[in-house]
Amino acid sequence: MDRRQFLKGAALGAGVGTLAAMGAFSYSPARRAFLKNVTRGTKDFGMCKSVKVTNISETSWFDNKVFMRDVTSAGGLLVDQYTFNWPPFGNGKGVGKGSYEEGIKLIQDCLPHRLEEAWARVKEKCVSVENAGGFSCLIEIEALDGKVTKYLMDTGWNYEWMDTCFKREGIDKMLANNEIAAWIQTHEHMDHYWAAPVIMKYNPNITAYIPDSFYPPGKDYLKKSGHKGKVIEVPKGLHPIEPGVALYKFDCPIIFKVFGEQSLYCNVKDVGLVSITGCCHQGIILFADTAYKEIAYANDNFYGLYGGLHISPFDDWDPKYDDLVIGLKKWNIQRVGCNHCTGLITAQKFVDAGYPVVKGTARFRSKTQNYLGNGDVIKFPA
Amino acid sequence: MAEEQSLPYLEERKLVKRWGGPLPVLANMLFTGVIFAVTWWVFQDPRGIMRFYTPYVGYNYCRWWLIILIWMAYIFDFWPFKRSWVRNAHPLQKGVVLSLMSIAIMWVMIHGFFEGILGNFAFTYFNPTQLQKLPGLTDFYAAEYAAQACMMFAVIASWISPAWVVALEGSPWSGLKQPYQGFSIWLGTFCLSLVIYFMTMHNHMGILYYPWQYFTAICPPYWSDFAQTVSANFHVAWIMCCTVVVWFMEGIWERYPFTMIKTPWRRRLALFFGIIVISWCLCLFFWYMQELVWGDAIRGHRRDAAPDWRWLHVGETAIFFLVPALFTQFYLENWPKKFSAPVNILLRTTLVVILGIGLYCAYYMGAHYVLGTQKGFSHPQQFPMIPTIWLIDIWLINWWFMDGWPGWRREDKTAEDFAAERKYHEEELSTWSPAMIPGLCVGIIAGIAVYFLIVAGLPIASATFTLVK
Repeated sequence: MDRRQFLKGAALGAGVGTLAAMGAFSYSPARRAFLKNVTRGTKDFGMCKSVKVTNISETSWFDNKVFMRDVTSAGGLLVDQYTFNWPPFGNGKGVGKGSYEEGIKLIQDCLPHRLEEAWARVKEKCVSVENAGGFSCLIEIEALDGKVTKYLMDTGWNYEWMDTCFKREGIDKMLANNEIAAWIQTHEHMDHYWAAPVIMKYNPNITAYIPDSFYPPGKDYLKKSGHKGKVIEVPKGLHPIEPGVALYKFDCPIIFKVFGEQSLYCNVKDVGLVSITGCCHQGIILFADTAYKEIAYANDNFYGLYGGLHISPFDDWDPKYDDLVIGLKKWNIQRVGCNHCTGLITAQKFVDAGYPVVKGTARFRSKTQNYLGNGDVIKFPA
Repeated sequence: MAEEQSLPYLEERKLVKRWGGPLPVLANMLFTGVIFAVTWWVFQDPRGIMRFYTPYVGYNYCRWWLIILIWMAYIFDFWPFKRSWVRNAHPLQKGVVLSLMSIAIMWVMIHGFFEGILGNFAFTYFNPTQLQKLPGLTDFYAAEYAAQACMMFAVIASWISPAWVVALEGSPWSGLKQPYQGFSIWLGTFCLSLVIYFMTMHNHMGILYYPWQYFTAICPPYWSDFAQTVSANFHVAWIMCCTVVVWFMEGIWERYPFTMIKTPWRRRLALFFGIIVISWCLCLFFWYMQELVWGDAIRGHRRDAAPDWRWLHVGETAIFFLVPALFTQFYLENWPKKFSAPVNILLRTTLVVILGIGLYCAYYMGAHYVLGTQKGFSHPQQFPMIPTIWLIDIWLINWWFMDGWPGWRREDKTAEDFAAERKYHEEELSTWSPAMIPGLCVGIIAGIAVYFLIVAGLPIASATFTLVK
């Protein structure tokens, strides 16, 4: 045998064999032999009796065109949110030319008790101040013994708007009276977090659950907002906070240079799993699928969800979002209270597809009845 | 020399290292690295000056720049510049002049032809101003959609245009002089790219709006069930693999084993369709790799299990291997060369695979520290193809336009050089011997075994190493 010819043939054959196997096997049904079977999750974090969510504010910004004009001017969706010169972090230099350090210096002496004065300074130095709104909701968990525990999810963005909304729903008094057990901060985005001083104005000692992936400016802002209570940094994964209620932190990169988001799972007796989200940047299907793979819940049923589903927050669209509208069917969700970053088109597509969207009243600047809007309430079970 | 005078410029030149040892490679890496860093900061970086990485605006520019460079060097053979200027001008002068010209052509193609002509007279989605007539659509997304639509054409053209030259050897226009040859191939590949665009990307744009545009595009698209997504990222996957395989063929694979086919038309067709077949093999494997590491894709998912992102990541993965393939071809001068052609090619491929895996890991472990991006897989607005193609663009300018300056200099190939090339081609690349059959059989079995070893090892590797902490 000619060694040189053999090696030439072998080298050629190795390439042909590898490529042929790649083509023939990699997308064939036989490939499943090497894939892990999905096993049903069994982690038990108890049960609660019911969940009630009051929407304090879902309108993060009021005019999408103004918001996206700022995004365009600053350089797109990957630009660091603290550099936009959005309220309250302004330096007067214009869109995309701000910094956290300059912005906080402007207002820190007013936080948390002289918010009107802080906001007056913000109006001079920031862009699109009147366009800022915020996301926040009150979650009331009824335990199996009937005891109700309240949680505040997110703080919103605009000090003035959020203070008005808090007063409208009585949150200011609940905070002041220590009726709210904890504040859950889902993630670091401006529209969910930057009105933190409004909470501190009423109760600086409130316990805070924040994702462990906050950037240094986010952590610094928490302190400078006047927070003096316990801070629990939630790491990736499941984090039960009372029977039937657990946070789940997802490590995911998010627009405007934010990392990680936590959402809430509630295991409601007799009906099933209820999910409450801020923005759900991890995606609702991942949220549902994670629950399926990790935790046990009543009736093995994904019963309901509330919150922003982050599908088309800027009234944008992408064919992959249609995959979501198609793919959500298999979860057979029975109550959907969507709003905020779900997107008006998505909400309409959900309605068109026959999903059980709980309609709202479109009050207090909410734009559509397809959203569970500002001041609206949803209960699980109905 | 007379017959060689008619050769394309890239074939007639010989690039010679200016210094011994690794200095030329290091010099060129430093030079191109600095250009990458500066231009990235100026044009793309979300913290930088122009901030084109929105993402689609910047993505569109870097993809189009790539195809313009290919057109200038491979299809038009540097026409309208005189050969004497291309041969004798200083590499820096050539680099600046040709780069500026490529940017001007890119500007005309994107903003003149696609946005101005097609966007105003044929397809709304190519023009942001036309798109903004749609109620509720913001200027940001109008620009993004138009850039995406335009970029998708460049994806196809950057496969078809070089494939026509590499695989079909420019036929049936290879005998024409420039610019007739260039315009013929350019028009032919442009038309073919448009046809493929209509059948792969147009449907995507048709379902970008509410309600689906049933009467202008086929919705849902025909690939929906097979690919588990309605997104055209499915096509981006295999077409990106085609783009990569074309350059593998042209560079580290030296068009082998198709060079063994003697009949020109058979060789050309076999290579053209061979590139597609090989690309599909890679495409499906890159998909399977993700299943092995991250589990099943889930329709509607937004992150690493989303079918549309998985297909996109197939293309991204392919590009991670194109970078070391071009590095090996250019700066390592297709090392090694001392064994028989198939053995050299196998060793080169192994080297490229190792370097590609290294680049993939390095990108996800550390790119966010320098590129102004976010850490993590599957960020919906981040595309590793942008920095990798940006780097490739710079390397192509350095190698094609600047003759490898500063580490290399151009010389004329001598008659001996051409004779040696012919000899290598005839004796190594074009020769088939029945004595290769035993080795071929053993190699095929070994290749299949290697595949299953990779398949079995990937879940273990992914469980052992964490790239993004």
